[in-house]
Amino acid sequence: MDSQTQAKCPLSQDEQALLASGTLKDEAILAHPHDFYSVMRRGDPVHYDEQLGSWLVTRHEDISAVQNDPLTFSVNKGYHTQQARGMQDEYQDILRREGGGYFPDAIMSDPPYHTRIRKLMESAFTAHRVKELEPRIREIVIDLLDSVTGKGQADSVKDIAVPLTIRVIVEQLGLEHGLEEKISRWSVAVTAQIGRMQNREQMIENARQICDLQHYLIGKMKERETDPREDMISDIVHAKIAMDDGSVEVLTFEEAVSLIRALLIAGNDTTATAIGNMFYILATRPDVAQALSDNVEDDRFLTRFVEELLRIEPPVRALSRMTTREVTIGETTLPEGAHVLLVYGSGNDDETVFPCPRDFDVSRGNIGRHVAFGGGPHRCVGLSLARMEIKVMAREIIRRMADIKLAIAPEDIRYVPTVATRTIESLPITFTARAA
Amino acid sequence: MGNLTVTMTDVNGVTRVIDNAEPGLSLMELAKANDVAGIMGDCGGGCACATCHVYVDAAWWDRVGAPDDIEASMLDMAENVQPRSRLGCQIKLSAELDGITVTVAP
Repeated sequence: MDSQTQAKCPLSQDEQALLASGTLKDEAILAHPHDFYSVMRRGDPVHYDEQLGSWLVTRHEDISAVQNDPLTFSVNKGYHTQQARGMQDEYQDILRREGGGYFPDAIMSDPPYHTRIRKLMESAFTAHRVKELEPRIREIVIDLLDSVTGKGQADSVKDIAVPLTIRVIVEQLGLEHGLEEKISRWSVAVTAQIGRMQNREQMIENARQICDLQHYLIGKMKERETDPREDMISDIVHAKIAMDDGSVEVLTFEEAVSLIRALLIAGNDTTATAIGNMFYILATRPDVAQALSDNVEDDRFLTRFVEELLRIEPPVRALSRMTTREVTIGETTLPEGAHVLLVYGSGNDDETVFPCPRDFDVSRGNIGRHVAFGGGPHRCVGLSLARMEIKVMAREIIRRMADIKLAIAPEDIRYVPTVATRTIESLPITFTARAA
Repeated sequence: MGNLTVTMTDVNGVTRVIDNAEPGLSLMELAKANDVAGIMGDCGGGCACATCHVYVDAAWWDRVGAPDDIEASMLDMAENVQPRSRLGCQIKLSAELDGITVTVAP
């Protein structure tokens, strides 16, 4: 369907009312957004959300177009505008005063600067390199699952998803174990800064958490400066960037702190969210759980299962861009300096690309087209690691747990109030242990 | 600058002959450096996004060879896969591939 036919598709009165009054500031919509996404895609695909002050790009095709034009749609301006929006000066002051400095995210930048930083990160995350990590990650997963499966019940988010992803990234970065709770709090605090749902008090509290995080990381970086090890902190502290003219540069201190912070947070919260979503699906769609169980030894099925999970419930709901000139997306013209949110949750639900989008269908012919990892030059750099973690987890869970059921009513499930991700806060489940 | 020759037909059907390709570069890197339409290389050559999907010309298939397991599983999720599909990032240019001909997948 071309954009014109789609834009003219008539909405019912209720749908028109939802389009007129809906906002991603609304916690009820954030928790259950699919109807709102759908009316935007059909009625106003590039929709100005007045309460957020952002343009919501909701169709798959438009999201892809924006992603492939990183100079018109600046991540640097978009991301850093979204951060602590409305309270930025105070936020940055707190970090400078109490957190060792305000360090803009080097990876949240625009080409050509971005290209150099990005190259540095890419080599650590190729699918082939990640494959080598798999045996160790399987050990971590099994170790954690063995500690809960005997009980027949667990909070699948707090007891499994969150500690698991933290243990993996802690090991990759070379941090010590046992800090799961702290790292979880830090992750929430960093994500909250782009979540648009903080009041001033929460912003200050979250900023202080980030100060704490930065002091911790800076301490680790200093250790690695004199005593490099086989870990990612050492890699970044000692990284050399090859420039186009053949010269070699090192990262500044500010860049290095921001990259290590990004590594710790970006792959952690989001992967945990994906695993929480997987538990929700396994608990509420017995057919999907059965199919996973029946195909647990089939690598192709597992790979596609993970991809469909990421399509149907993308952990990252929406990320920012800012226009650097007047530009038209679809039929909507945005001025220069407009804040844009690419609503991945909606792009993955776009029925013109993924028929029956709420069906969990591992056999989709275009399964790789989902935008859960974004796309273009800012596509998630840790995507292979995320996929592998989720895949190992899916396999080891279904080997050990049968009859997974929610231990709370679906309407009692709370989602983290944030525009940035769609994350289940806590998901108690019951299950029967299988002999693995 | 190298001296290998690579012929690429881009996603719009335009055929380009690149005659100064450097050994060691991947087809994806070469295509990006020459702005070959349809090759994005989003993941930077990590065999993780399938945005550098190409069809290898029949005459070159034996020398290029089949994808390994990791690449095959990535290709499995791409669209328009054909028997001689490969990811450009996983094909490293060498003297043996001097003259290779590929077509960018839609």
